[in-house]
Amino acid sequence: MLWNYLKIAWKVLLRRKFFTAISLFGISFTLMILLVVYALFDYTVGPHQPEMRTDRLLFASRMEYQYKDGGVNRSSLGYAFLDRHARPLRTPENVSISESNWSEAVAYVGNQTLKLDQKRTDSEFWQVLNFTFVAGRPYNLREVRDGAHVAVINETTSRHYFGTTQGVVGRPLVLDSRAYQVVGVVRDVPLLRFSCYADVWLPVTTTTDDLRNPDYMGRYQVILLARSAADVPRVQQEYEQMIAHQPVPDPKQFKQIGSHALLLRTAVLSRFARGSQGPGSDQPILRLMLMLALLFMLLPALNLVNINVSRTLERSSEIGVRKAFGATAGRLVGQFLVENIFLTLVGGVLGLALAAGALHLLNESQFLPYSEFGLNGRVFGMALGIVLFFGVLSGAYPAYKMSKLQAVKALKGDTAA
Amino acid sequence: MIRHLFTLVWNRRRANFLLITEMFLAFVVLFVVGSLLAYYQRNYRTPLGFAYAQVWRVDLDPGTQPQAGRLATVRQVMARLRALPGVVSVGRTSSNTPFSGSFNNTDVGAGKEGKGATRASGFYVEDDLREVFQVPLVAGRWFGRRDDGAALPPAVLTRDLAEQLFPRQSPLGQVVLRSDEQFRVVGVAERFRSDGDLEALRPVFLMRVSPQDTALGEASTLLLRVRPGAGALLERQMRTETLAIAKGWNVGITTLAKQRAAQLKEALTPIGALVLVCVFLVVNVALGLFGVLWQAINQRRAELGVRRAMGATAGGISKQVVGEVLVLTTFGLLLGLLVAVQFPLLGAFDVPAGVYFTAMAAAAAGLYALAVGCALYPSQLAAGIQPAVALREE
Repeated sequence: MLWNYLKIAWKVLLRRKFFTAISLFGISFTLMILLVVYALFDYTVGPHQPEMRTDRLLFASRMEYQYKDGGVNRSSLGYAFLDRHARPLRTPENVSISESNWSEAVAYVGNQTLKLDQKRTDSEFWQVLNFTFVAGRPYNLREVRDGAHVAVINETTSRHYFGTTQGVVGRPLVLDSRAYQVVGVVRDVPLLRFSCYADVWLPVTTTTDDLRNPDYMGRYQVILLARSAADVPRVQQEYEQMIAHQPVPDPKQFKQIGSHALLLRTAVLSRFARGSQGPGSDQPILRLMLMLALLFMLLPALNLVNINVSRTLERSSEIGVRKAFGATAGRLVGQFLVENIFLTLVGGVLGLALAAGALHLLNESQFLPYSEFGLNGRVFGMALGIVLFFGVLSGAYPAYKMSKLQAVKALKGDTAA
Repeated sequence: MIRHLFTLVWNRRRANFLLITEMFLAFVVLFVVGSLLAYYQRNYRTPLGFAYAQVWRVDLDPGTQPQAGRLATVRQVMARLRALPGVVSVGRTSSNTPFSGSFNNTDVGAGKEGKGATRASGFYVEDDLREVFQVPLVAGRWFGRRDDGAALPPAVLTRDLAEQLFPRQSPLGQVVLRSDEQFRVVGVAERFRSDGDLEALRPVFLMRVSPQDTALGEASTLLLRVRPGAGALLERQMRTETLAIAKGWNVGITTLAKQRAAQLKEALTPIGALVLVCVFLVVNVALGLFGVLWQAINQRRAELGVRRAMGATAGGISKQVVGEVLVLTTFGLLLGLLVAVQFPLLGAFDVPAGVYFTAMAAAAAGLYALAVGCALYPSQLAAGIQPAVALREE
C-alpha cells in the first residue's frame, strides 16, 4: 500500500516539474536555514571537544551582589574564595578553578606581533575537560603548585610561533617578555566555547594577580564534574548551600549574594541573555528561539499549502474515481499526507546537502576563529523532526480539502471551491 | 472596474484566503526587516562627532602592585609614551572608550536640584584628549589648566543634552547635577557617538580628570593619537617601553579602528543573516504566487474564453488578471498595515516614527512590485487564450 502511494507520489512529482521545483526550493532552503542555526546552537552548547561530558559538567562563573535598593552587581568569582569553599565540595568528582575570561598576551616572531589569548588554569582543568592532545601532556599538580613557567598551546599558535606542530614540546615560548616551556599541544578550541577557549593555557600560579585576596568577586570560574548525570542536581544543591552559608559582605549596602553552578547550555544562553542566572534561566530564551523557528516556518509552510491546494484540485478526477470506488476520506487524507511527507523528505535531503555546504563555507571563511561546524547525529535527528513536522503542517489542510471533494462533482471536473 | 475586481476577489474569498494570509505575512517580514535597515541606515549616516582613525587605546592593568604607587607609574608611562616620535598626544580616560561596548549611564539634571533629569552616558577625559578626539565644540571651550582651581568641576555637554536641560537659554556657566555631584558647564559639543556607528544618538556628559586625579580607580586606560603610518613597530616599542617602567603589569594595546571594525562585524552579522532569510522568504512567496496564479489561469480558461468571445481585448484580460492580484495584495497589505501602524502609535523600541513610516512605504512598494512581477507572465498567458479553443474544451 505504502509502496503504491510512494509510486503515485513520484509520478505526480514528475508530472509538473515546475511546481515540484518550487516546492523543493521552499522546503530545502527552509530546512537549510533551520539546520544551520541548529548546527551553530549545537556547536556552542552541545557535547564537543573539549567539553565532552556536558551532561555532567557544571559551570559557575558569576557572583551576584543584590543591592538593598534593587540594583545588581555581577562579576566573576575570586580565586581564594573558590579555593577555600568550592574545591572541598563533597558531591562532585572533580573541581577545577580557572580564569573565567581570556586575556591578551603578546609574543614576537621575528618582527611580527602575535597576539594570543591566554587563560590561566589549575591542573584539574585538564582532567575535568577532554582536550585532544596532539603532542605532549598537560601540566600537573606539582607544576601548578610551584608556579612553573610551563604552557599548553593550541595547534594554530604552534604553527604561527614555531612553524610546525611537531617536536615543539620542551621548546621555549616568550609571552609578554617571560619565557614558558611548552609541555603540550592541543587541538584548536573554538571561540564559542567561552569557558575553556584560549590559544595558550598557563598554570594559575604564574599570574600577577593576588591569589590570596579573599574577595568573593574576582576573575575566576569554577567547573564541577558530577559523578553521573543523575547526580547533577545534588552537586548544584551543595554549591548553592555553600553560597548561602557565606556571610553577606557589607550588609548595610547589600541584601544577599548569589551564585549558581549551571549546565553548559544554561550558562551560555543566560550569558547571551545577560539576565539573572539560575538553574532554569535558559527556558525563556529557548522558548523564544522555538517561537521564532515556528514563525519562520509559517510562511514557507503556507506557500507549500497554497501550491498543494492548487495541485490537488488538478487531480480531482483521480480523487473522484477513487471515491467512487469506495475509498474513505480518512484513507485519502492518509495517502495525501504520505505523499506530502515524501516530498518534504526529498526536500529534506536537499536541505541537508545545502546546510552542509553552507557550514563548510562558514568554516572556510574563518568567520568565527577555529570554528568547525558540521552535521552530526543530533543535527540529523533535528532535520528529520523538522521535515516530518513541516510535512504534516503543510499537508494537513490540502489533504482535508481533498477528502471533502464530492465524487460526482470531482468526476465532472468541477473544482470550484 | 475596480469595484468589479473587488467583487471578483470577494466571491472567491475562501480560495483567496491563503494567498491573502501569505501576502500579509510577507508584508510583515518586509516591514520588520525594512524598519531595522532604515533605523541602522539613519544612525550610520549621522556623523560620529569625533576622530578615531589614528587613535590607539592602551590598557594598563597593575595586577598586584600596591595601590599607592600606581598613579605615579601611570604618569611615568604617559610621559615616556608622549616622548616617542610616533605619538602626538596622550591622555587618561575611563574604560568606556568609543566602540568598546561598555556603558556608563547616569541621570543628569539642571541646577543644584537636578531638575528635568535625563539619562546621559558619562566620560572622564583628560585635557590632552582634545587633540586625540578632536571634538568640534559649538559653544564654550574644552577643559584646560584654568579648571584646576575652580570651585565646581567643569563639564562639557553634547548639544541634545544642553537643549534638553536648558531650553532656550545658554547652558554655558550653568550648574548641573550628576549623581549628587555638581558641575559647571564650560562647553557644548555637537555630538559624541561613542556607542558606535549603528547605535542611536545619545546625550553625553564629559567630565575632566586632572593629572593628579585618582578618580579613575584601579585600572588605567590611555588613549593616544599617533602619527599617520604608525604600525606594528610603534606598538612593539610602546609595549617594551611601558613594561620597562611598569614591571609586572599587563599591557593591552589596540586601535580604535580595529575595535570599530570588530563592533561593526558583530552588529552587521545578525542583520546580514536576517536580510538573507528575508530574501529567501520573499523569493519563496514570489515563486509560490507565480505557481498558484499560473494554475488559476489554467482553471479559469472557460471564463476567460467567454470574455474573449464577448469582445474583451487581450489587453483587457491581462489587466483584469493583474488587477485581481493587486486587489488581493491590497487586502493583505491593509491587514499588515493594521499591525505595522501599532509600532509608531505605541512608540515601540524608542525608534523615531519616521523610521517606521519609511519601512511601511518601502514594504508596501516591495509587495506591489512582487505581486506585479509574479502576475505578468500568467496575465500574458491569459491574454493569449483563444476563445474558440477554450470554449471547445468544455
